[in-house]
Amino acid sequence: MGDAMLLNLVLFLPVAGIALLVLVPARSEGAIRWVTFWVMVVQFAATVVLYVHYDAAVAGLQFETRIPWIPAWGVYYLIGLDGYNVLLVLLTAFLGPLVVAGSFSAITKDVKLFYAMVFLIQFAMLGTFVAQDLFVFYLFWETMLIPMFLIIGIWGGERRIYATIKFFLYTAFGSILMLAAVIYLVYSLQTTTGVTSFAFADLYRTELPLSVQLVLLSAFGLSFAIKVPIVPFHTWLPDAHVEAPTAGSVILAGVLLKMGTYGFMKLGFPLFPDATRYLAPLVMALAVVSIIYGACLALVQNDIKKIIAYSSISHLGYVMLGLISLDLIGIQGAIIQMVSHGLTAAGLFLLVGIIYERCHTRELAAYGGLAKILPVYAVFFMILTLASIGLPTTSGFTGEFLVLLGAFKAAWPLYVQGDTLPLVLAAGAVLGVVLGALYMLRFAQSFLFGKAKVPHEPVTDLNLREQLILAAIVAAVFALGLYPDEPLSKTELAARDFQQRVTSVAIPGGAR
Amino acid sequence: MNWLAVLTALAPESVLLGGIIVLIGAEIVAPRAQAALTLSLVTVAAAVVAASFLYASGYVATPFPGHYSIAPAGSLAKAIVLSLALPVLLLSRDDFSDDGQFHILVLSSLYGFCLLLSADSFLTLFLGLEIMALPVYVLVLLAFKRPESPEAALKYLILGGTATAMFLMGVSLLYGGSGTLAISAFSAGLRSADTMATAGVTLVLLAFFLKAAIVPFHAWAPDAYEGASIPVTAYMATIIKAGVLLAALRLFGTEVVSRPTVDLLAVLPLVSIVWGNLAAMRQTSFRRMIAYSSIAHAGYLFYAFLGDGDGRFQAVLFYLLAYGLMNLLAFASLPRGDDDATRDRLDHLKGLFQRNPFGALMIGMAMLSLAGIPPFPGFVAKFLIFKNVIAAGYTTYAVLGLVGSYLGIYFYLRVIQLMFMSPDAIATGRSGYSGAVAGASGICLLAVIAITVFPGWVMGRL
Repeated sequence: MGDAMLLNLVLFLPVAGIALLVLVPARSEGAIRWVTFWVMVVQFAATVVLYVHYDAAVAGLQFETRIPWIPAWGVYYLIGLDGYNVLLVLLTAFLGPLVVAGSFSAITKDVKLFYAMVFLIQFAMLGTFVAQDLFVFYLFWETMLIPMFLIIGIWGGERRIYATIKFFLYTAFGSILMLAAVIYLVYSLQTTTGVTSFAFADLYRTELPLSVQLVLLSAFGLSFAIKVPIVPFHTWLPDAHVEAPTAGSVILAGVLLKMGTYGFMKLGFPLFPDATRYLAPLVMALAVVSIIYGACLALVQNDIKKIIAYSSISHLGYVMLGLISLDLIGIQGAIIQMVSHGLTAAGLFLLVGIIYERCHTRELAAYGGLAKILPVYAVFFMILTLASIGLPTTSGFTGEFLVLLGAFKAAWPLYVQGDTLPLVLAAGAVLGVVLGALYMLRFAQSFLFGKAKVPHEPVTDLNLREQLILAAIVAAVFALGLYPDEPLSKTELAARDFQQRVTSVAIPGGAR
Repeated sequence: MNWLAVLTALAPESVLLGGIIVLIGAEIVAPRAQAALTLSLVTVAAAVVAASFLYASGYVATPFPGHYSIAPAGSLAKAIVLSLALPVLLLSRDDFSDDGQFHILVLSSLYGFCLLLSADSFLTLFLGLEIMALPVYVLVLLAFKRPESPEAALKYLILGGTATAMFLMGVSLLYGGSGTLAISAFSAGLRSADTMATAGVTLVLLAFFLKAAIVPFHAWAPDAYEGASIPVTAYMATIIKAGVLLAALRLFGTEVVSRPTVDLLAVLPLVSIVWGNLAAMRQTSFRRMIAYSSIAHAGYLFYAFLGDGDGRFQAVLFYLLAYGLMNLLAFASLPRGDDDATRDRLDHLKGLFQRNPFGALMIGMAMLSLAGIPPFPGFVAKFLIFKNVIAAGYTTYAVLGLVGSYLGIYFYLRVIQLMFMSPDAIATGRSGYSGAVAGASGICLLAVIAITVFPGWVMGRL
């Protein structure tokens, strides 16, 4: 029980943080920043303790808390860690203090509200990950929209209002259909088994005919696909990223986008296994289209934030590909890729934010030869670029390599049986890796090398605060690249669980 | 029953009646708004206590057999809605500071509200509805701060009269068919295939649609809401709406609605949801926007009647509570302006967060809750209704209704955008609140937090 309290502490620390901020006068901005930072640090430390104590050999929930919340509906406040969410919780808690420290100098307006919103989104994101009850999950899932809406809308760039309303309306549309599906799913469980429950564990047992599964998976899937985002539901992302303040971009790329893939992994696919297998070729095709389309768009952008935004679409395509390969290695790779992208994209957005803060433009053509002017900046930028490409020894390599391995491993037997599509798609994903190297190196080349120019002189190199933030991210990137066994061992049982749920559940009246 | 027992059974009503008489007397002797406010607050609070006591003790009685009965469910509804009247009264502190007319009229209207919740016959129900509505026609005109007020009051009066006529016509038909004035004739009419009974049911239902402002009978609402003063608009949006819905609930009881009434009961509310949400987008007046929002919300509320009978009471009452609190919170937090017209302009909210962070946060919360965004109570309320609709098997209507509710998100967000994201604050007028109004938002905020954190506890009691 003591351990379970620790998870509750981690979850509710941001709420306590908001309460603390209320007490600090709005004028003492320094105090507000440091209070937020230290609360986040404590949260990360507590999460590390949780991570260390997480037993990789035990399947199912750990640190579980179960309290009746709305008894009439069978809704429980049910949270816990499992192999699905343990790395993502760690990632979220890790990025928390970095986001706060990264916006120390960038945010000067309504500082108190800003950090309150950062706390709120941290609370909602962690809650979404640890929730094991669909009602609670949905509450946290939707709550995330509110702080993000304000963060982009208040502290964003010129077209921030357009971007933030687009973001909200896009994601809310998916959620509305998901809500109908949630109610229908729970109602089906109730009529077929007599159990009224929102707990994931109970909902996995719902038996539905394929036609219903297809409709429900589409509703859940649309909501998740918008969040990931998968092409063609991605158009909100570039706008949101470009207009968001650095902290918003970091949260968005670092954690928020993983909500979609996590949703597919935890809910969408395992809840509707027959429909998932039925739609697998389509999902796989969309994943590969996302990889290639995102990469192609990243190749032609002149806005440095947009390059990374489109690269996110491409990188999350790998996650989807790994998941839908339904191969153990691919699934493991998808989980690692989620974390890896969270680290590299967060780092790159921070770097872009740092240069924007100094030079006030995001136009690629305005920069050149930064390696000569800002050597420390250039080193960090190069490391993260290479990690994003997937150079061996970095986290990007572990993720993408495992995903591709899994995709080919799953595609080969099908090819032998005469189904060439998966193999073609897997090959397409490899093309994505090449394109990825192309756009990132083009970016780095014109940004860091060539004739030195900056739009706004003199430019100072990274200060100690910025160096420490980026050093933390780089350290994590290498840790995940050099020693992936440890995190992989913690997610292995979940990956097996996912694979087993989606592939071997035989449902009366189901497909195949 | 002897008269003492009758008085006990009618405790909330008796308290209100006593309060009205004292207020009228005080008004004649020495008209003082401050005293009237205090007295009316005490009266309503006492009525809430009385109703809660009747509910808690499980009091069941029939003081006037065939016409009037007391049951715990009704007492609870009285307690909840009467307690929503407390913030409304506090809100009136700034707008009605001359005399006690406002308070007398509000208390009379509340008296009518209590009557209809205990009505067993069409006669009592009719009395309740009319006593509830008549003072409001006057209330709309009472402030008379803007040229639109008389027009608004007249429109409201005429359309309210039309609704009354339709209601009476429907009741006559039901009476002609069944030979009884008991409200059970309505649920019998729902089951019956007889043309006269069906016509009666339809007319009564349309009368309720008119009173609740369901499209296409909604045109009065935007004018009335805009023309009235803020406390009166708040009163109409929360308590009158609650009264109409609870009266309809009284008629429907737990009767399961079958086709073709279901389609009537679903299609017009669905159109209301869609149209209310769309029309709200282009409003420039805050109260007009809230009026269109209330048209949409009336749609959700009537959706609750599609669900099975047992969950209906809980769904409607929870929704009314959440919806009422949110409206009151928003109205209580509106910044002051130079005059009523300025105060009502949506533009006036620009940059409110800079001028008054607390007010902006409260209005923002109210808007998100009205839009049905979690974790606020508006979401749980909508969830409850749509859950019942899906459980009753009307999945298509539920999905269409949800998509309709999605249309509403934009205009609620626009209010937040104005308050938080528009830098050009109109630095006019006082930005603080008077103690009474602050008290009103305080009460609402506490209640909102309570039902956000413990929705299960609240639902368990409904």
